[in-house]
Amino acid sequence: MGPGPPSPGERLASRPPRRLLLALAVWLICLLALAPLVGLALYAFSGAAAEPLDLGPGGLLQLGNTLALLLLVGVLGAILGTTTGWLTASCSFPGRRWLAIAQLLPLATPAYLLAATLVDLGSRNGLRVHGLAWSVLVLTLSTYSYVFLLGSESFAVSGRRQIEAARSLGVGPWGSFRRVALPMALPSIGAGIALSGMEVVNELGAVELLGVPTLSVGILQRWQNDGDPQGAVGLALAALVIVSVLVAAERQLRHRSRRWGMGSPGDRLQPWPLSGWRAALAQVITLSPPLLALGFPLLWAVSSWDQMRGESIDDLIALTLRSFALALLAALLTVAAGLVLAISKRWIPQVLLRRITFLAGMGYAVPGAVLALALMLLGGPWALSPLLLLVWGYADRFLAVAKGGLDAGLERIPPSVDEAATGLGCSWLKVLQRVHLPLLRGPLLVGALLVFVDTVKELPLTFALRPFDFDTLSVRVYQYASDERVGAAMLPALLILLLGLAAAMALVPTLERQRGPH
Amino acid sequence: MPRSDQPRRPVSIPVIAGLVALLAVAAGAAVVVSRMGRTPVQELGVYSGRHYNTDKELYRRFTEQTGIRVRLLEGKDDALIERVRTEGANSPADVLVLVDAARLDKAAGMDLFQPVSSKQLDRDVPANLRDPQGRWFALTRRVRMLVVNPAMVDPATMRTYADLAKPALKGKLCLRNNRSVYNQSLVADQLIQHGEPATVSWIKGMVANINQPFYTSDTPLARAVAKGECGVALVNSYYVARMIAGLSGEADQTLAKQLKVVFPDPSHVNVSGAGVTRYSRKAEAATRLIEFLASPSGGDGYAEANYEYPLKGYGSSPILRGFGSFRDDGVSVQQMGENNQRAVELMQANGWS
Repeated sequence: MGPGPPSPGERLASRPPRRLLLALAVWLICLLALAPLVGLALYAFSGAAAEPLDLGPGGLLQLGNTLALLLLVGVLGAILGTTTGWLTASCSFPGRRWLAIAQLLPLATPAYLLAATLVDLGSRNGLRVHGLAWSVLVLTLSTYSYVFLLGSESFAVSGRRQIEAARSLGVGPWGSFRRVALPMALPSIGAGIALSGMEVVNELGAVELLGVPTLSVGILQRWQNDGDPQGAVGLALAALVIVSVLVAAERQLRHRSRRWGMGSPGDRLQPWPLSGWRAALAQVITLSPPLLALGFPLLWAVSSWDQMRGESIDDLIALTLRSFALALLAALLTVAAGLVLAISKRWIPQVLLRRITFLAGMGYAVPGAVLALALMLLGGPWALSPLLLLVWGYADRFLAVAKGGLDAGLERIPPSVDEAATGLGCSWLKVLQRVHLPLLRGPLLVGALLVFVDTVKELPLTFALRPFDFDTLSVRVYQYASDERVGAAMLPALLILLLGLAAAMALVPTLERQRGPH
Repeated sequence: MPRSDQPRRPVSIPVIAGLVALLAVAAGAAVVVSRMGRTPVQELGVYSGRHYNTDKELYRRFTEQTGIRVRLLEGKDDALIERVRTEGANSPADVLVLVDAARLDKAAGMDLFQPVSSKQLDRDVPANLRDPQGRWFALTRRVRMLVVNPAMVDPATMRTYADLAKPALKGKLCLRNNRSVYNQSLVADQLIQHGEPATVSWIKGMVANINQPFYTSDTPLARAVAKGECGVALVNSYYVARMIAGLSGEADQTLAKQLKVVFPDPSHVNVSGAGVTRYSRKAEAATRLIEFLASPSGGDGYAEANYEYPLKGYGSSPILRGFGSFRDDGVSVQQMGENNQRAVELMQANGWS
């Protein structure tokens, strides 16, 4: 975080801290988050002389592909997410409300489903869907929503006064976006890009189907096909380095653009009214990505409705309920853990603790299939319940998703607020309860939504760790799609979309309230 | 941030505590539910790398016949192997069903199976399709065959796998990548039959013949051949059979009917199979399930639903019968597994990426 104004923790370090509980919670969460990763490394290197890391045959290509995907998807996703976020948060045009909700649909479309339908549609129509360009398209569509979500939340709440000041000085919509709103939203946008980057690093199904060998493909190949866990961990380390750089870059960016804005009474921003061709353009821009992400599977479904194999309704209900329950549990747990980690930085000024909370988010960088192996290594000998391992895996993997938005949200709350509250005798728990939680409602909901949707479509962990007779929607979709039976995969896939949509709708009132009436 | 006209309500501690308690209860309930009904009597745990809805129908029939319940977990073969290994003596799996020779051999090599002796299995499963020590038994067969577009390539010139490396096929061959375990086993099979130098030049010859990047699945390959984008390709028999059956629509059905199916002579035959897990305490019941799945009454159903070949003969499907007959090259599945690693290395080293 670097030197900034002293945090309340530093200033009040002499007070007898009632923060032991908080510190304990932080350590416990970090321990649980890091145990699988440490166990994995120990296992890979146990009993073998540590050899110099060797990317091996194909390793360089895999690294190159991963970097290329990161760069291209990052740039495209940033542009797409920022544009759609700004348009729906700060302008008004016909259909804006619905189009804002629609941006969340691509998030609920599993990348492997999108890739599978594209490959299938292409091969039916004589188009070879293959290679890096298609992977960039698929991954951009399935990850730009991270940037959109975090960005638009920030556009909606921060810098109204500054924007109004800029307006009164005659700065137009474009200028106020570029010179005021964008810099203020940079932390959130950066967090969004980092999240989408991590998603790109560990994407497996889609890139495999599109024939682009990346690090995550290499890691699994080394481990399971070549029987070379050390080589796999070596590649995984390369992936971790990439992600650490991403996260560090995002933090640097955030630090440089740190601003505090509370919003104050009467502080409502009139959205820029768009009309005529401008409104039409805004509609086209915001409609295209969801239309593409949803359109391909739907196009598939429409053109091949005769092949859609129905499952029994009972079965579909059971699948949906399991997906829903798992995702809800994962979302609550993960957001709670993320909140503890995020606020601990404000209260406990310990470098070690900060470093370790930083590391705790690394689970997101590890390909799900590898995390699954790690959890099996931990859980197997102890005969831990598969469901317990599964939820542990979800929380570990998605901790960064919940925490990213919370960190950005907390940074918008000036430390003076904490100081005032502490000065009035509030403990961290009281401050959390009376100040942070109400102010963080947006990021909390966004985080919970992201984890929920991510869990519903999560595959490798669910596939590897679930107990007997416990299929979920994503498992069923993948079983069919990987067996080249896209038709049978469609119905469960549509249910995943519906669950994602329902979750997105739950978020709308909050986002709208923040935007204010107009 | 909430607007000022809406009062900022503090979130009360009891609510948080309540949520946490709810979470704990939910987690506990989930654990309890997952353990519920796990009574030791007459119940078998099956981990299966096959995932066809029709398999479940067969397990149901087994339960009807024997009263033994089957609890099922379907997953990816490699992940299931890892799971049985890490669960060790705690594993709830009694039977492990895997697809492809290489995986069966790998699991046997990791000591995940216990040897079983059964007269019925010895009778129903041909010797080259089971482990000599009785650790696993094949249940279904699939053939890696050629699909040819007669307008581009004369099917009569395609008699063996070696013909795919002929210079005359330049620009007409399409292949799936080396991640496909089906291709890995084919190369292992050729390695056993023809030795390393011949296999290397065969791979090189084929790689020189391909005209576009390696495919990642079989169905698009078959379509590409039918549409004339490729003259010939290697695919598993059941993908083509499914297309002909109309499972992926009328357009695919029409396309597949234009394909000329060629069984190289002799043909490479691969399997899915099963074994009793190392630590199963219900070896007897587990053996009964495998016997049922390998028997003509059970196994034919297992194979037929996915358009695979049963252990003996060609099954009753008119589509498979329409493909004609093939001659199994007789290479033992166990040997293919042993040669898998070397096969992958040769593919990687010679441009089959």
